Amino acid sequence: MPTITFITAEGKEHAVTAEIGRSVMEIALEKSIPGVVAECNGSAACATCHCYFDPAYADMIGAIGEHESDMLDFTASPRRPESRLSCQVRIADALDGMTVRIPAMQ
Amino acid sequence: MAHAVPVVSDIAFSDLLIDPYPIYKRLRDMASAVYVDAAQLALVTRFDNIVAIERDSETFASSNPGSLVNKVMGHTMMRKDGEAHATERRAIEVSFRPGTIKNHWAAQFEAISDGLISAIENQGEADLFDALAAPMASLALIELLGLREVSWQTLARWSQALMDGAGNYSGDPEISARATEASAGIDAAIDTVLAWHRENPNPAVLSSMVNAENPMNLEQIRANIKVIIGGGLNEPRDSILSLSLGLLSNPPQLAEVMANPDLWPLAFEEAVRWISPIGMYPRRVTRDVELSGVHLRAGDQIGLCVGAANRDDRRFENPDSFDLFRPKQPHLAFGAGPHFCAGAWVARQMVGRIVVPMLFSRLKNLRLRPDAPARIHGWVFRGPVSLPVAWDA
Ligand code: HEM
Ligand code: FES
Repeated sequence: MPTITFITAEGKEHAVTAEIGRSVMEIALEKSIPGVVAECNGSAACATCHCYFDPAYADMIGAIGEHESDMLDFTASPRRPESRLSCQVRIADALDGMTVRIPAMQ
Repeated sequence: MAHAVPVVSDIAFSDLLIDPYPIYKRLRDMASAVYVDAAQLALVTRFDNIVAIERDSETFASSNPGSLVNKVMGHTMMRKDGEAHATERRAIEVSFRPGTIKNHWAAQFEAISDGLISAIENQGEADLFDALAAPMASLALIELLGLREVSWQTLARWSQALMDGAGNYSGDPEISARATEASAGIDAAIDTVLAWHRENPNPAVLSSMVNAENPMNLEQIRANIKVIIGGGLNEPRDSILSLSLGLLSNPPQLAEVMANPDLWPLAFEEAVRWISPIGMYPRRVTRDVELSGVHLRAGDQIGLCVGAANRDDRRFENPDSFDLFRPKQPHLAFGAGPHFCAGAWVARQMVGRIVVPMLFSRLKNLRLRPDAPARIHGWVFRGPVSLPVAWDA
């Protein structure tokens, strides 16, 4: 199983092994990583699972959908080029070693 | 050891309607789920329990074969689960996207709000329920759905009739008749405009429904338009009033928002936490399961009291006070999980960014009337039913 590392807004690192096919949001909740709220549980409706993804993996995490992109314009912490809704990114082998930064506010 | 759901029989239905919060506190401190005779449901009142339930929609389903909502409105997305729910939800999504709201609906909401406030500006006093909140919510919903030649009073009447029908557990024939009549009126109003929306794609909900990648059929359209009419009118109305009341009762906080308009979104979230417009919604237990020491059984009907969870003192300090400066943390006023309110961004923009800011900036020295206090009522749906105010005209 690939390993990914969450970095909280305070800079604390949590390296976790993640099951293929699950969403990054689901992994964060399962491992009790603080700062991923995910009010809508993955329906891309709440924008409270916003994270900053390692740009080195940009080609491997899949493209941003139109709806997701629209939601990202309304996140509580600023949108950046590496912003994604973590519920829309699925774990795959190619993501081994990726870091995911959690914003200060959801 | 898990124990059976405790039962409480000494609560009158009218106590819940007048002030549910002391009752919620008692239930929260008692157990994770408590069967309340007056409500005919096991009520879940703790924040953490509701979050956990909403993360497991297989065990705690929204679908319910015997539901009155299905009988009154047809099979709506609110009472479906899994893929059947997701497909219908996706079909309406574009109308409710924050970007669509900002670029398209905001200007229309502003025009409606401006018209209503201009009409009372010189009056010096009014009840904000009739003068602003009710027509605002109804007129905005007519635009959003894409209906035409329906008055705001008619839509409001339909909405109330559907909701009364959905709560008509005693089977009162008069209430059923009114719900049936409203339902027929809505079907006819949809028929009038549906072909036009099909041929002229636009951001309205009816257009999204027929032009989606997986378009809805007529039965789905009728049911889902009804659920939006039933559930998309009272909540913005009530939150306009709760936000106004919260600020009028706390002048120092009002002064801060007036000085710093960036605080409006926080004030809105606090208003719906403080008095959650939907206080309770149901779920059906599909298998035997333990919830923090209480044994729930397959087939149990439970009521998720988000109005109680939003005042859970394990979570919020001084939960009963309106305080827009409390540390930012999630609340459950829009529900959680797959059925997380589809209209959340509409409500945020309309109420928190447009109507209430415009109200306070246009009506000078807006204040409560000590001779005519606000009245708040309800528990399943709760909000101010009268908010008399005065200003310098
Ligand atoms: C402050 C205003 C509002 C509040 C507090 C609110 C609250 C809620 C809640 C708690 C639910 C979940 C119900 C359940 O799971 O059984 C819900 C669902 C829903 N709301 Fe809202 N609502 C508001 C405004 C609106 C508006 C303005 C609309 C539409 C115009 C709307 C449309 C819907 C729809 C369609 C659903 C069902 C979503 C689904 O089943 O996937 N709401 N709302
Ligand atoms: S969990 Fe709500 S948008 Fe991702």
